[in-house]
Amino acid sequence: MEAIVRISNLDKYFDRLHVLKDISVDIQPREVVCLIGRSGSGKSTLLRCINFLEEPSHGSIEVDGIRVAGGEKGKVHRQLVHDVRLKTGMVFQEFNLFPHMTVLENVIEGPVIVKGMDRKEAIAIAEENLDSVGMLFKKDEYPMRLSGGQKQRVAIARALTMQPRVMLFDEPTSALDPELIGEVLNVMKKVAKDGMTMLVVTHEMGFAREVADRVIVMSDGQLIEDSKPEELFTDPKDPRTKALIDRYRTGE
Amino acid sequence: MNLFNKETGENKSQAELLYQVQQKKKFIFRRNVILSWAGLLLFLIFLFSGIELRSANRVTSISAWHFEIVTENDIKVRKRVERVLASLPVGLPNDGISLKTIAVDNEFIRNNSNFVAQGIVQTIKISALSIMLAIVLALLAALGRLSTNPVIYAVSTFYVSLIRGTPLYLQIFFFFLALPQLNIVLTGLWAGVLALGLNYGAYMSETFRAGLSSVGKGQREAASALGMTPGQTMRRIVLPQALRFAIPPMGNDFISMTKDSALVSATGFVHEIMWRATKVGRAEFRNMEALVMAAIFYWIMTLLLTSIQSRVETRLAKGDR
Repeated sequence: MEAIVRISNLDKYFDRLHVLKDISVDIQPREVVCLIGRSGSGKSTLLRCINFLEEPSHGSIEVDGIRVAGGEKGKVHRQLVHDVRLKTGMVFQEFNLFPHMTVLENVIEGPVIVKGMDRKEAIAIAEENLDSVGMLFKKDEYPMRLSGGQKQRVAIARALTMQPRVMLFDEPTSALDPELIGEVLNVMKKVAKDGMTMLVVTHEMGFAREVADRVIVMSDGQLIEDSKPEELFTDPKDPRTKALIDRYRTGE
Repeated sequence: MNLFNKETGENKSQAELLYQVQQKKKFIFRRNVILSWAGLLLFLIFLFSGIELRSANRVTSISAWHFEIVTENDIKVRKRVERVLASLPVGLPNDGISLKTIAVDNEFIRNNSNFVAQGIVQTIKISALSIMLAIVLALLAALGRLSTNPVIYAVSTFYVSLIRGTPLYLQIFFFFLALPQLNIVLTGLWAGVLALGLNYGAYMSETFRAGLSSVGKGQREAASALGMTPGQTMRRIVLPQALRFAIPPMGNDFISMTKDSALVSATGFVHEIMWRATKVGRAEFRNMEALVMAAIFYWIMTLLLTSIQSRVETRLAKGDR
């Protein structure tokens, strides 16, 4: 099967700091991949390189047949980056809903402004997605009046309404109160079940174990393990993976 | 105090009671402030009433001084005239006390208030044109301040530094009196608008810059992730939020600009409130009356603008954040 995301020989430097070291990963369509690792291991940076919120220093990203080389400039590059961003939806740790727009306006903003979609059509898709994340009843509220979990569910609906091929989640539950994590994870499970390709940076080992098809472990800007969750959690090959999993287990 | 919640019939919580006490305190404070304001205003009116209290020669009297035009030897002269309102033959024990308030020439005010009031239109016109120019300049300067291009950054900071480093009065004269040497002749109005616009643009750029940097990085990232171009991100996401932040201080600037528009009268060719007041005041040596009149007009204008501003502010506060 043709990979939908192909990361090849990716390097990322922040000044002299080498945060991603020659990373190559393929992700198949409909696959749910969790990225785990200690903070500072480069997992968020890797995710943000896929839609070029961080510009990779070397190497290339390919999303759904569009290949973009890192470290370039100019009009062609910008157009390619734009095309890649249309194919990817992103959910942030801090939700980043637009506070001056209602929930519905937040969700239709992308399709109407970026894709030039007809407003009515956008509203139809938006309402469908809001319904599936259970937030349709708040569609005319401003984000200020929502709880963290509700905000994150709206953010997921906003990303889905752009009809992306791949969804990127950057620690989607890390900013939430413990009792609100469940509702967001449930929505993410639903999205996975609907066949979306997902790449999730997370600390939720339970979620990784239950939902992921593959779990990738990062440490010091390198991939140290990439396997099925049942193997990884029962029989980790790398001692660093084992330490990471043990740490979460004792934390639970 | 009512210890039960009327709707639910339950005991009120401690927090609710505390809140009530605080609200009541606030209400009493506000009421007393308003009453004091009224008192101060009455005192000011009394100060300009022309009333005189006197106690001398065992007679205590209250009289009102005013101006009248009387004909003396076929020449009309303006004269201070006393009208005794009341006098009591039983004077206060210590003789020779007198309490005088300022007598204003009501006749003069009646005759000239229309003339001065006609300046309001001009004052509003100058302020409105200047504020529009200032907003455009301030926005450009603020964007320049946030630019990563060194030349654009320099142009913006240079402009702000130059304008803030020189007096507004000088700038008005520069546009009105200095530019004609270069064969650029501006009318008093346009010289004033240009100077005020440039001046307030420089000051307001700070407000705009603060507004723009109040919008978090996450907002830009979310917009980028949706595929918005930098232009779309600015127009749809950053500017609306920045403006919301900047509108209250912009209101303050607009109010002070309305008053600074008085400086434009110095050109002698813009017939706004200040110009009219000084003209009639000098002509009849009634500067106090003329300036008091102008002050009242400016004050009423700023009071109106302030109330509009606070209304806009409460409406903006409702939406978000």
